[in-house]
Amino acid sequence: MQTNFTPEQLADPHVATSEKILRKCVHCGFCTATCPTYVTLGNELDSPRGRIYLIKDMLENGRPADEEVVTHIDRCLSCLACVTTCPSGVDYMHLVDHARMHIENTYRRPFKDRVTRNLLAAVLPYPRRFRLALRAAALGRPFAGLFRRVKGLAPFAAMLDLAPRQVPKSSGSRPGTHPSVGTRRGRVAILSGCAQPVLKPQINEATIRLLTRLGIEVVAPAAEVCCGALVHHMGREEQALESARRNVDVWLREIDNGGLDAIIVTASGCGTTIKDYGFMLRLDPIYAEKAARVSALAKDVTEYLATLDLPEQEPKRLTVAYHSACSMQHGQKITTLPKTLLKNAGFTVRDPAEGHLCCGSAGTYNILQPEISATLKARKVKNLEATTPDVIATGNIGCITQIATGTTVPILHTVELLDWAYGGEKPAMLVS
Amino acid sequence: MTIIHDPLSEEAASRIVRAAVAAATPLEIRGGGTRTLWSGSTNRDILSSAALSGIVAYNPAEMTMTAKAGTPLGDISAALAERRQMLAFEPLDLRPALGTSGIPTIGGVFATNASGPRRYVAGAARDSLLGVRFVNGSGEIVKAGGRVMKNVTGLDLTKLLAGSRGALAFLTEVTFRLLPVPETSATIVVSGLNDAEAAAAMATAMSMSVEVSGAAHLPESVCGRFAGGRLPAGAATVLRLEGLAGSVSVRSEKLQAAMARFGAVSSLDVEATVQLWREIRDVHPYADGTARPLWRVSVAPTAGHQLVAALRLEAGIDAYYDWQGGLVWLRMEADPEADLLRRYVKALGGGHATLMRASAEAMAATPVLQPQAEAVAALSARIKDKFDPAGVFVGAFAGA
Amino acid sequence: MEQIGFLPPKPAVLSRRREIVGDLKDLLPEGCLVHEPRSLVPFETDAFVSYRRAPLAVALPETTAQVAAVLKYCHRYGIPVVPRGAGTSLSGGAIPQEDAVVLGLSKMTRILEVDYANRTATVQAGVTNLSISDAVSADGYFYAPDPSSQLACTIGGNIAMNSGGAHCLKYGVTTNNLLGVKMVLVDGTVIELGGKALDAPGLDLLGLVCGSEGQLGVVTEATVRLIAKPEGARPVLFGFDSSEEAGACVADIIGAGIIPVAIEFMDKPAIEICEAFAQAGYPMDVEALLIVEVEGSEAEMDGMLQSIVEIAGRHGVKVVKESQSATQAALIWRGRKSAFGATGRIADYICMDGTVPLSQLSNVLRGTAEIVARHGLRVANVFHAGDGNMHPLILFNANDPEDAARAEAAGNDILKLCVDAGGCLTGEHGVGIEKRELMRHQYTDADLAQQMAVRAAFDPQWILNPSKVFPLEGRPAV
Ligand SMILES: Cc1cc2nc3c(=O)[nH]c(=O)nc-3n(C[C@H](O)[C@H](O)[C@H](O)COP(=O)(O)OP(=O)(O)OC[C@H]3O[C@@H](n4cnc5c(N)ncnc54)[C@H](O)[C@@H]3O)c2cc1C
Ligand code: SF4
Ligand code: SF4
Repeated sequence: MQTNFTPEQLADPHVATSEKILRKCVHCGFCTATCPTYVTLGNELDSPRGRIYLIKDMLENGRPADEEVVTHIDRCLSCLACVTTCPSGVDYMHLVDHARMHIENTYRRPFKDRVTRNLLAAVLPYPRRFRLALRAAALGRPFAGLFRRVKGLAPFAAMLDLAPRQVPKSSGSRPGTHPSVGTRRGRVAILSGCAQPVLKPQINEATIRLLTRLGIEVVAPAAEVCCGALVHHMGREEQALESARRNVDVWLREIDNGGLDAIIVTASGCGTTIKDYGFMLRLDPIYAEKAARVSALAKDVTEYLATLDLPEQEPKRLTVAYHSACSMQHGQKITTLPKTLLKNAGFTVRDPAEGHLCCGSAGTYNILQPEISATLKARKVKNLEATTPDVIATGNIGCITQIATGTTVPILHTVELLDWAYGGEKPAMLVS
Repeated sequence: MTIIHDPLSEEAASRIVRAAVAAATPLEIRGGGTRTLWSGSTNRDILSSAALSGIVAYNPAEMTMTAKAGTPLGDISAALAERRQMLAFEPLDLRPALGTSGIPTIGGVFATNASGPRRYVAGAARDSLLGVRFVNGSGEIVKAGGRVMKNVTGLDLTKLLAGSRGALAFLTEVTFRLLPVPETSATIVVSGLNDAEAAAAMATAMSMSVEVSGAAHLPESVCGRFAGGRLPAGAATVLRLEGLAGSVSVRSEKLQAAMARFGAVSSLDVEATVQLWREIRDVHPYADGTARPLWRVSVAPTAGHQLVAALRLEAGIDAYYDWQGGLVWLRMEADPEADLLRRYVKALGGGHATLMRASAEAMAATPVLQPQAEAVAALSARIKDKFDPAGVFVGAFAGA
Repeated sequence: MEQIGFLPPKPAVLSRRREIVGDLKDLLPEGCLVHEPRSLVPFETDAFVSYRRAPLAVALPETTAQVAAVLKYCHRYGIPVVPRGAGTSLSGGAIPQEDAVVLGLSKMTRILEVDYANRTATVQAGVTNLSISDAVSADGYFYAPDPSSQLACTIGGNIAMNSGGAHCLKYGVTTNNLLGVKMVLVDGTVIELGGKALDAPGLDLLGLVCGSEGQLGVVTEATVRLIAKPEGARPVLFGFDSSEEAGACVADIIGAGIIPVAIEFMDKPAIEICEAFAQAGYPMDVEALLIVEVEGSEAEMDGMLQSIVEIAGRHGVKVVKESQSATQAALIWRGRKSAFGATGRIADYICMDGTVPLSQLSNVLRGTAEIVARHGLRVANVFHAGDGNMHPLILFNANDPEDAARAEAAGNDILKLCVDAGGCLTGEHGVGIEKRELMRHQYTDADLAQQMAVRAAFDPQWILNPSKVFPLEGRPAV
């Protein structure tokens, strides 16, 4: 559609990129139909097309963000269903990234909002702090109901609800090298992650067991930090880029010291961001090229497993409802691979209805937008349970925590089931 | 004294209408005079389309035809038959049932929106009508719609004119779409079902992907009067299949297999099929030479047999069903029982009942057309006023 | 660059903005009224994005009663009301005006009843077209009219525009599949038209309402016909060396009395656009492509295809390609249905919607190419060929006002060509604002006067979507 920017405005590379994105949108409205917030709220302002228009208007007029715009951009889950749907190839992801940055730079949030966000940004990306916070949360749980009733404190109630009752012991995927069993077929780095090793260390443990059993050497490099996704989605661009640069350095070092076939990511949310490092650092003359190399190496664990030609296994008489995380299907466009792997491994795989809709987890969304998040969770759980599964599988830690609070059906990471199918222990959750 | 005007052109019709408005003489619009649409006083002149006759354009490759409103239906059917085409909605011929004569015209067919068995899947007359020309009550010559398949540009006055029964305007020309005559057809007969069982069987048949193009139930009381007695004894639930010969036989097998669980299944060949569905369309069993009240009732398909069952307890009636049970032809033994009937129609989810035939006194004493909700009737009256501000056309429509 | 005008806003309404907003707030639940000026901007247009007018407020009612309350209020104060579904209109039907309240149905998205025995579904007006089929698909049914925008557009919008789609060749457009509506008249009166019983003997108000572009009332519920899914369906691709041959082939297929479920046409630019998006395996070395879908049992499909292949042979068909799997069939349709949007990858476009008699298809395609070339622009053609409903997409650069003006002028010429060839201005996208002034090319003053009179029977004050459909000059005085 038509845009209205001055040459001066277009001199800003961020604006220039956004302008190109906006020009592609033909305002057809297709994306509204698959947007979880539009489907839930029924207001075009809470749809991709509405948000695109709000952003366009804000950027064209060179205005600082205001409460209205912030409200509707904040409600965006960054699930990227709209990107999958858009026939015109509108890169909403980078447009909304720019808008979030603009908001962060030009808008002062109300006090309570600032506190919550600062807290999240200061805790979640750091495993040690996160672990401590969760212990505290266990103590705070009795107050959740109280928080929920006080306006502005709902995010805290949501945090308490989400915190697991028991914080697992520390992770088994400590930094270091895990040699392959038998002949080495390849060498990969694994992203340790920040929240995942605290909440579910089993995931990376299973990944390492499975990969090494398949002849892959797995390194978990020290000095790696959070991928930056959490702060990136809050519009805290500098903080995100700093994380990105540090990780780029860490992995490049590994590449130089023994080579890497892939950087394995077991949380699709992180995968989407790491695959985007190349874009995020495109304006950084020192890192642009290095970041692009790293992005090209980043692979979801299922993507990598699919290259290893796993043998077909005997049927297991276990029905798996596969929940495709948004970052998996929309962010990384990995749709059938995980299901094919599971089927090959002997599981009966079912697709829930409305598979394109987000479960409401979306990084910190379930904390910052608890109401919409809860509605989406209920809808997702209903669709998943309608397939009468024995277990739910998915590829993202956020979804696992979110969905687990809404159903009694066990939920596992895809790789945990695959590890079991290919010689590992039966996941504890399935041993009754 | 009633004058019959039969203008030779739209312009002449326009002059007649203007003169009638000036003289405050009501006009009754008449096609072939096969149905009396007007039962009011005789103090009116007649504006007949009889002289506006002839096919204006027939384009078989595009499956459309344009004809002047007074063209006899027979002429049109003959022209279509030559190219193996037809009107999809199966216009009815009610002359035997109503005891009327006259020659049905294409304008009259559309003005009454009269549609036969295929209505249920291929649409009514209004769905085939693409465009019209007409003279309104101010004598203006107006066109609406067009001659292409998709042509709703602005308000769809074409639909409004279809079924307007001479109350809005004098149709002078109609353009309509056609369909190829199916290569062959067959009827599957399920015998011995009661009305409720038949409703279930028909619903099942319609839910299958066999494209049933007619679904009727003929209870035992009427069954023998159809198809020259070729139907098996007992009630007959009949399902029509049409299309290419190979396809009809494949679908026929499928349908017969599915119907077997409802009752004894047999089938009719193409010749018997054509006769049977024509008789169902034209209300053959009640073309009995009497003036016993005859109703045409339209309800939801699953409500038809419930309506009949309820009425049976309170009045002497006979009935058969078309449109999967949604079209009930009801013959009353004595009184029209309009109130009773309409009360049940309402209770069963709504619909409408039109009194097609009765003694002159009963016709005069009964609201022949289904009364409408007040707001809808008021709206209809306002629309009538916009076509015919002077009220020169006396044709009646429901609620007016 | 705006060549099409809107009605001037009523000063009396504009000056009462604050009061109106306050009153509307009282009539609606929380979160159902948008009124902050900046929040109104995203509602300023629909998919006919060249024209824009932000409204005075946007009401998003949740019930018929709330719709009635808003209408009653606006009627009382003479405030224009613009109904809006999903805002996917390609003719600007849902574009507001400065003094209007937009009445959006996007919160009314419940499927109220599915009745298989009678094969009907009753839904609220904001339900999307596709979600009706989705809701009944597992049980073997579908709702037939399938506009390419079916993922997003609402049934209320479909009714207002009498929308069609690829599969309407066999099953008819919205008006042929609509059984009843609940609608609110301009003064707030709620009426019901039609229902599960067919063909009410009164005036066919249901038929009149369908296609009335939000000018007669606001539809809040609809009952539609469901159809049992065919046993099988198969799209087949026919590639030709010229658009003319493809067009003539369509006319001959229909002329032979063969009515497939769908016959869609794409020219080379459209094929390239769609293939890049969907990777459906469209042949790339042809000038024009027909997607013909047949359905039924294997034997029936084979039979019909055989006849079609024969006819296509007479027109020198170059490639005949059957879809090899359900996945490929889905991709073929996905590509076709995404055609307009996918065009956005290469340029801005305006989409025409004229219909022509099939015998004129080839001529009009040639004429369209000439017109577009004369204006120095490019065109892609992708449309419902079986019913002669053409959709030339005129490609241009929206950031260049002169280009935009040229595109509009070319569009007008094309639509006039369609009318002159015996066709109509619109097959399924409606008149909206886009073709409003061209109505005079198709209709006489008397024709238009009659339509406007009927419109006035519903809305004497002309407050429902008043800038649309009828040329601004020559309207009856209010
Ligand atoms: C990419 C693309 C492809 C398309 N393909 C097709 C196609 O193949 N076939 C086709 O027919 N159309 C097509 N369209 C056009 C459009 O999708 C249809 O016109 C659709 O019916 C509009 O529905 P909507 O819900 O978006 O209505 P809107 O655009 O919101 O409104 C359309 C009109 O309906 C009125 N309206 C909306 N809801 C109501 C209501 N409840 N009561 C009264 N009036 C109401 C509005 O006032 C307006 O005049 C396409 C559009 C796009 C963008
Ligand atoms: S990212 Fe998700 S929530 Fe955000 S606009 Fe797109 S579809 Fe909607
Ligand atoms: S689907 Fe794409 S082109 Fe269409 S409105 Fe959404 S972002 Fe714009």
